[in-house]
Amino acid sequence: MLQVPRSRPAVHTFDAPVTALAFDRGASTVAFALGDGTVRLGSRADGFTSLATVSLHHGAVLRLVAETGPGAFLSGGDDGRALRIEADGSVIELASFPGCWIEELAVSPVTEFRAIAADREVRLYDRQGVLLGAAAEHPSTVAGIAFNPKGKRLAIAHYGGVTLRWCSGIDGVPVDLAFPGSHIGVSWSPDGAWLMTSMQERELHGWPLGGKSAEVRMGGYTAKVRSMDWSCRSGLLATSGSQGAILWSFSGRGPSGRQPVVLAAREKALVTRVAWHPRLPVLAAGFDDGAVVAAALDASAELLLRPPGGGAVEALAWSADGTFLAAGTADGEACVIDLDPA
Amino acid sequence: MDKIPVTVLTGYLGAGKTTLLNRILSESHGLRYAVVVNEFGEIGIDNDLVVGAREEVFEMNNGCICCTVRGDLIRIIGGLLKRKGDLDGILIETTGLADPAPVAQTFFVDDDVAGRAKLDSIVTVADAKHLLSRLEDSHEAQEQVAFADVILLNKTDLVDADMLGAVEARIRAMNPFATIHRTERCSVPIDQVLGRGGFDLRRILEMEPEFLSEDDHEHDQAIGSVSLTSGRPLEPERFDLWMRRLLIEQGADILRFKGILAFAGSDRKTVVQGVHMLADSTNLPRWGDGEPRISRFVLIGRNLDAAILRAGFDACAA
Repeated sequence: MLQVPRSRPAVHTFDAPVTALAFDRGASTVAFALGDGTVRLGSRADGFTSLATVSLHHGAVLRLVAETGPGAFLSGGDDGRALRIEADGSVIELASFPGCWIEELAVSPVTEFRAIAADREVRLYDRQGVLLGAAAEHPSTVAGIAFNPKGKRLAIAHYGGVTLRWCSGIDGVPVDLAFPGSHIGVSWSPDGAWLMTSMQERELHGWPLGGKSAEVRMGGYTAKVRSMDWSCRSGLLATSGSQGAILWSFSGRGPSGRQPVVLAAREKALVTRVAWHPRLPVLAAGFDDGAVVAAALDASAELLLRPPGGGAVEALAWSADGTFLAAGTADGEACVIDLDPA
Repeated sequence: MDKIPVTVLTGYLGAGKTTLLNRILSESHGLRYAVVVNEFGEIGIDNDLVVGAREEVFEMNNGCICCTVRGDLIRIIGGLLKRKGDLDGILIETTGLADPAPVAQTFFVDDDVAGRAKLDSIVTVADAKHLLSRLEDSHEAQEQVAFADVILLNKTDLVDADMLGAVEARIRAMNPFATIHRTERCSVPIDQVLGRGGFDLRRILEMEPEFLSEDDHEHDQAIGSVSLTSGRPLEPERFDLWMRRLLIEQGADILRFKGILAFAGSDRKTVVQGVHMLADSTNLPRWGDGEPRISRFVLIGRNLDAAILRAGFDACAA
């Protein structure tokens, strides 16, 4: 299930920090977003060994996600623009918000909606890029947005809680989920039953959307939880912010009263990014010293895929088919590792 | 990696903050500063390093006032540090109505900011003609003077010498730490404003001794300062207990404090500084041969009772 890579990883060094990375949904292109406003595109055809540079933003690329379909990405920058980038390097402007930073983008591969946050506003676009509507005046700058698994509802995180909005009427009366403090990230469980936020207070807060359980609150983190990822089937939420990846179980009666599982624990480094393999019970974790570890959920195997160095891991992602794992660091180092056991 | 220095510009509306900012941005000093502005549309300079942001004061859900931070600064400092690393520093221009405490606390409380940026100093621009009346009616104007490491007493051409002396005495009574520059149109050498190390523990040793001696200032009704000295070495545990209790009980009223302390059984100077309930301390070089080992502790705050503080401090002596 988890084997030592057969080939050496493709390694790259940039003169700007890696701020984000993504594989396209077809798993044929990788994109590294940098603090100098460029994105570097690599192709599976040559094992991601050569990268093409595309200038995107004036300032830093603050956000990069895979587009709703294969062969493209969406980026946001501190020049206030949201862009669509094709695998061939062509760029289309989706939206512009002069004077704002675009730090939060979300897409739904199901409905092909895209949501863009700027300041306290969230705008919703369809697959053609047509503006469907906007919701303004959230209580603070929007710090996280996420579509529900069906792609029909948006969760918007901010100071004081989360606002839920239906995509069919984005500016309609919302549902407010209130909890004191600043919510800096948001994530739906794959079954849509839980909505989790990470907080400035170095804890998680969770709302059961069926209404049967009570809200949950998980603390004990060393750092703010900057990365959350749900396993595809087992109902496990993996989180950064501690010496190992912290896994909370949401199966059955939920996480209340259950101890979390710690995976990929290392003594003197904090996990900064977590990413589940898209099919297998294997978790990749990136650390603040630059190390990347992959660990089997049953603890049967653990591999150091990238040694420490190059600054904190700022971005970590698997290709959609689970063959490749890519990582990028704060000092501008990046790698693409081939983990195909075949 | 060196932490990026951050200078905070405060001052009441119309005092001259924007003039100072434009001066810093337009002079050829060869340094690249990113500027965060909370008041839009005032800067006349077209500069891609200027970032606008709405002031966002976030209270923590533990209810602790000293953990109140500025969400906009956490976000923007984090974003600026993602850029290619060619910034020499960050300047933050707060609104005339901003409370400096959450700004300063952000640099202590938020790990991401504390790990990569350091608060260099708080620079307050004060209007020599209007400061006294502002201090009467504005809580924020008082806080801005009390928190400052550097005060530009600006528009001195609009007042006479007596008035200037009165304003300066009033500032001094509220804030014995700050370096005061008398200016017209904020004309001051840049190096007197940037890189001052107002929160740098090592710089505390450079505090001018006269500001640390027993004083007889008329204390401001709202905000005053108390200077405590002791020629007898302090008992470390006793001082620690006293200071902890003081910060728990009166931390909300204590705005800033700085001290150079001589502890019994130690040859090193201990320096301490803080904002509200947040304290920072370290041991610095040895006392010189023949140097008098005098402990000095200065507090700026509201409703400070000098007699009680002095009795508490004296009781810490070994």
